[in-house]
Amino acid sequence: MKKKQPVAEDEEEKMSPLHASQEEESDAPVKAKRSKPDSDEKDVVYHPVKLSRSDLYRPPTAEELNQLKEAESLFHCSLLKMQMEELLKEVALSEHRKLQIDTFIQTVTKLLQTVPDSPEVEVNDLSWLSDAVKIPFLLLPKTTKGKFHMTPPASVDLIGSYPLGTCTKPRIMVDLAVTIPSDVLHPKDVLNQRYPRKRALYLAGLAQYLTSCNDIGPMRYSCLHGNRLRPVLLLTPPDSSSFTVRLHACPPPGFFKPNRFHPQRNNIRTEWYTGLQNFQSESSEPPTPHYNSSVLGDLLPRAHLQFLSAIRSQCSAFPEGMALLKVWLRQRELDQGTGCFSGFLASMLLAYLLTTHRISNTMTAYQLLRNSLNFLASTDLTVNGITLAKDPDSTAPSLAEFHSGFQVVFVDPSGHLNLCADMTACTYKHVQHEASVSMQFWDDPTVDGFHSLLMTPKPMIRTSDHVFQLCELVKLQSTCKKANLLNELMDQSGNYVDAALPFILSLLQQGLGQRISLLTHSLSPVPEWSVESEAPKHKAQPPLSFGLLLRPELASSVLERGPPADSPKAAEFRQLWGSRSELRRFQDGAITEAVLWDGESMCQKRLVPKQIIAHLLQLHADVPESCMRYMGAMVDDVIKTGNETTGEEESLLVVQAYDDLSRKLWQLEGLPLSITAVQGSHPALRYTQVFPPQPLKLDYSFFEREKVSRSLLPKEGKPCPAYVTPVTVICHMEGSGKWPHDRLAIRHIRAAFQISLGELLNKHHDYTCRPCASHLDVWKDGLLFRIQVAYHREPQVLRESMNEAGLLIVRDNEEAQALETITIHKPLLTSTLHGLQQEHPCFGAVCRLAKRWLGAQFFSEDVTEDTADLLVASLFLQPAPFTPPGSPQVGFLRFLHLLSSFDWRNSPLVVNLNNQLTATDYTEIKNDFMASRESLPVMFIATPKDKKMSLWTKRAPSVQMLQRVVIVAAESLKVLERQLMDGSQIQDVRVVMRPPLEDYDVLIHLDPKQVPLLSQAVDAPSINFSRGTRAIGKILPGGALPVIDYNPVTLYLTELREAFGDLALFFCDPFGGTVIAVLWKPKAFASMPFKTSQMSARSAAVTGDEVSTLPNVEAILEDFSVMGKGLVKSVDARTEKWSF
Amino acid sequence: MAASKMKHARSQPCIIPGGFAVLPIQFSSDSGAQHKLYVKEHKVRAEKSSHRPLDRTLFVLNIPPYCSQAVVKELFSQFGCVHSVELRDHPGSSHESGPKLSKFFKPAEKKGFKVGYIVFQKSRSLKAAKSHPHNEPLVVCTEEHPVKTGVQKWIQQYRESFIQPEKLQEIVDSFMEDYDNRKEKEEEQQRKEAELQQEDEEGWVKVTKGHKGVKARPHSEAANKRTLHKEMRKKKRKELMNFYTWQHKNTQKEHIAELRKKFEEDKQRIALLRAQRKFKPY
Repeated sequence: MKKKQPVAEDEEEKMSPLHASQEEESDAPVKAKRSKPDSDEKDVVYHPVKLSRSDLYRPPTAEELNQLKEAESLFHCSLLKMQMEELLKEVALSEHRKLQIDTFIQTVTKLLQTVPDSPEVEVNDLSWLSDAVKIPFLLLPKTTKGKFHMTPPASVDLIGSYPLGTCTKPRIMVDLAVTIPSDVLHPKDVLNQRYPRKRALYLAGLAQYLTSCNDIGPMRYSCLHGNRLRPVLLLTPPDSSSFTVRLHACPPPGFFKPNRFHPQRNNIRTEWYTGLQNFQSESSEPPTPHYNSSVLGDLLPRAHLQFLSAIRSQCSAFPEGMALLKVWLRQRELDQGTGCFSGFLASMLLAYLLTTHRISNTMTAYQLLRNSLNFLASTDLTVNGITLAKDPDSTAPSLAEFHSGFQVVFVDPSGHLNLCADMTACTYKHVQHEASVSMQFWDDPTVDGFHSLLMTPKPMIRTSDHVFQLCELVKLQSTCKKANLLNELMDQSGNYVDAALPFILSLLQQGLGQRISLLTHSLSPVPEWSVESEAPKHKAQPPLSFGLLLRPELASSVLERGPPADSPKAAEFRQLWGSRSELRRFQDGAITEAVLWDGESMCQKRLVPKQIIAHLLQLHADVPESCMRYMGAMVDDVIKTGNETTGEEESLLVVQAYDDLSRKLWQLEGLPLSITAVQGSHPALRYTQVFPPQPLKLDYSFFEREKVSRSLLPKEGKPCPAYVTPVTVICHMEGSGKWPHDRLAIRHIRAAFQISLGELLNKHHDYTCRPCASHLDVWKDGLLFRIQVAYHREPQVLRESMNEAGLLIVRDNEEAQALETITIHKPLLTSTLHGLQQEHPCFGAVCRLAKRWLGAQFFSEDVTEDTADLLVASLFLQPAPFTPPGSPQVGFLRFLHLLSSFDWRNSPLVVNLNNQLTATDYTEIKNDFMASRESLPVMFIATPKDKKMSLWTKRAPSVQMLQRVVIVAAESLKVLERQLMDGSQIQDVRVVMRPPLEDYDVLIHLDPKQVPLLSQAVDAPSINFSRGTRAIGKILPGGALPVIDYNPVTLYLTELREAFGDLALFFCDPFGGTVIAVLWKPKAFASMPFKTSQMSARSAAVTGDEVSTLPNVEAILEDFSVMGKGLVKSVDARTEKWSF
Repeated sequence: MAASKMKHARSQPCIIPGGFAVLPIQFSSDSGAQHKLYVKEHKVRAEKSSHRPLDRTLFVLNIPPYCSQAVVKELFSQFGCVHSVELRDHPGSSHESGPKLSKFFKPAEKKGFKVGYIVFQKSRSLKAAKSHPHNEPLVVCTEEHPVKTGVQKWIQQYRESFIQPEKLQEIVDSFMEDYDNRKEKEEEQQRKEAELQQEDEEGWVKVTKGHKGVKARPHSEAANKRTLHKEMRKKKRKELMNFYTWQHKNTQKEHIAELRKKFEEDKQRIALLRAQRKFKPY
């Protein structure tokens, strides 16, 4: 610090006369850092700022005083302001880049002016095009009338975001409008795709000419926002591809009369399109609003640019506001593809807000973003369209007419064009939902608004609870046929995907009804293809994805109750559901139409939406189930128990048994002190045990018997008996003066209580009980409960001690903390999380998936059960920028995302259990955290009861392990999302549960027979061993105690860690892992001098007078097999990885 | 007996600098690898406890985890009669012993590598042990004395963890009786001391040397702190903080310094985030 200080100071002093704005100021430390080459970029950690005394107390200048005052009054805001400025810097174009673009534009413009003329041919005649260039258009139907010839463009103009100054990184697009001279066109070209085809031909002609130029790199075709009627030519300079110039061909302004494009007029004749004789008159032809708007859109870009430039010159923050809005849209995957909310649309929206004075010209970028989101959240353009036209001419259509032709209405300044023509109602609802959710987060002082709004990507698979894809899009052709969508097909000029999409969306919306809160769909990406290849077919686009946001309380209901049988709506209901609809009589006496879906267990019920969608698509859209990929419960398999359920039912059973036990404990009479509380402290009692214990019926012949204590014993030579999980229950006894004030005496008294509890339970309820010094085991209905008696003053007694002077001192110690964790914190956490489960039904399942993954990847020692549960809880309590997870799958994905993307080093994770923390608590936690970062655990989790310590992560993980967790989580997330979203990948989600074993130094393979939890393994083996249990029959109370909590693997691991913990790390999947991976600690393998306190498992080597020691590896490897005799199958030392 | 044989062995003991003799040890006769025990006579300047007589105690390092007390006793009895064996996690003086506990109430023992203090009956056994040739390893598990490890051991452990409720109750009762006795004695003592403080009939109080029973001042740390705190508060109330000009100036200076610090902190936070490329949205 001492060294660094002078540099920073110099820098500041040089700046101080200059610094007019804060930006320059904030640059100073960075410059200082850069000037020091030895400062390691990776190692930047937040250190509490230490300023020298002279620096802190030097007399302030007036200017500095002002600035400090400002920062004080806007403390939070100034941080946000700085953050936004940094973000804007990241997306803005550099001057250098702009220069590059300008020179390239000049070259292109010059080249375009010299396009040679060509003789006039029929439009259908493509022979003048060379083989190297194809027409970027799907010629369907094959022919149309008209003549065409190439000639240099009438003008070449910059349009769109670049001249407006709202162009942002990445994907820099510069739009260039090329005006087709009027002699190429004919006013009647509006009809039957003549104009669109001529436009495509013109682009092809340009491309043909430009292929011969060296100044232009490989060219590609694309189409504007995925509209296949509006092809564009993409040009890049030959050397770099950091930006793309998009060439649009346009008619001369005003060439076509705008009233020809009224949304209710027809410009594509059925006769021409179908090729059949048609006897309809022109007036009865169906309107073609989408076709019309796609042609009209070409007429207006210059006018739009003028309009926007005028707006931009009035409002100084317009470009920055636009940049923020674009970032916001892009993070939500809304800014690209067919029917997207493009940057152009966003600028028009800002213009609308400015012209209607909803925002003022002097507002900052931050306010512009806020107000536009507010507007989007509160306005429904699917019902009440808006218009930018001040005084439209008489021929302009009315808003009502627009609404009849389009789903979303936003009329441009000319009054003729609907800017949102291609947008589906669902997309707009999606935008609206995102805006309103964003506003919520912005207003919530406990959420980092900047991060959740602008920095976090929201891909569909991580946002929606369930996602499904339609894979073979060709099948949508039959949908169009079945649903009679010829008019739409004509309007969309044969694009059956776009034609069928609104129909399918409304069908699903109707069918899913109350079960979902939002239906979204992916915007089909804009195709790009080389000029040498034909335009891709409609079916060539990637699968359409649909996302469902479920209402947890309704989504999994198996019953769809319809209207009463005699009501007129019944027919409609029957029509929708077809043969699945049947008459049912309900308990309230009503007889109604109803549909009953299959689903007994929770995991089947969660997939009811899948059944509905499959049924509806098959029935109404002719899409077979085989075309559908439903990603709702793909990862749930790994937590499936033997009964083909995902454990909800088993957990419930355990909780019910516990409730019964606790009631019985309360009612016990004859204890010297009364019970004040019975609390569960086991994960199974908050529904988060990965594999909840299941009631067991024992096969006595499998075991040896211990007669005196009525217990069973494992037999040598037989497979390890089934593992019986003790479910821990804490039983608090009343405080009284009779309790001794001595740690040992308290322990003995507790044991005495446990004995008498056992006696009473056995006497009154006939449960087999076994008391021991630390707990009481109760065998009840095939489950085992472990009751621990607690006395609330015991931790206090443990902390007290007498020093030499006879003074009573209170010192915190580990023993007391451990006891407090067991008897106070854990039960509290259990009951709180139990409450969370009641609120969010899939909380438990997410926890279990998360913990299964942690176990499989060998992290369960470092990210403990309680930590994992808290992490998952934070996903539900602080879901920003998402909504609380509605399915285990999406919760799991977000868990991985949280692990991999959270900035553990510089921020605390606050889990606001029971909503007890206020905004001031948050700042307090943050400040405390910042002040003593170095001494706090690497993974810091604060809860209302634990604001400063991070109780659950104190022991683990270490820095190295956390780093590893982050890396593995990021990789797992990547693999999993790719697999889920891409049907062509190998479908095996268990890949993310198989840890890479190459990195470890020694692998200890275990005998599967002695691994009691073998059936829980990720890849469960086909053979299973008899483990002394019988198929479920009636379980009677009483009977001999089973073998409790006996797991050779954990016993072995503990022994290994105790013996070799200083030398190596031991990893194992606690759920049926049959391999223990060992990693040597590099530090321990350094040669050390002989010390009596550090000689464990080391051997000495003498060189002269010096004695140095190294671990005795050979003997250690042999110890591995000796200590695990009977359990270890082989010890695989990977000696090639290490040599000493 | 065994020691006399050793004298004729051809191999020499291996002594490393520091005075430790190296004794190889292997689990069974057919094991391929050996651990090395390092043994030396127990020598400390001030050994208070009588458990480790200086001339008869052997200090052993690096005892493998499968060697229990009994096994070690068995292994070393070849050098002479073993009086007692004490196994510890770390070298150091022996514990002060509290009230005697049954094994069920003892905290769980760590099962790692241990150091041992072996007390022989006779001091010449020390020499025998130190001169054991280094190429004749000690064998832990032999046919006469098999040592259980792995699954067998765990099953045995599980079996031994059982205790009859009646037996447990007995242990608890006897401990509590013992505890009550001790308590009673203490109380008796206190009562006696208190009596001593009473005025006698002539109004004299006998002042004894300060003992822990005497309540001259608050007796716990917390109470001490409380009194101290009270004093401080009292003092503070009397003091004037904004009386002199220099006090005014100081508060202002502190305020500005505080603001400066905050501002610098913000700047650093941003710089840090920028350095980590935390502002790149995608």
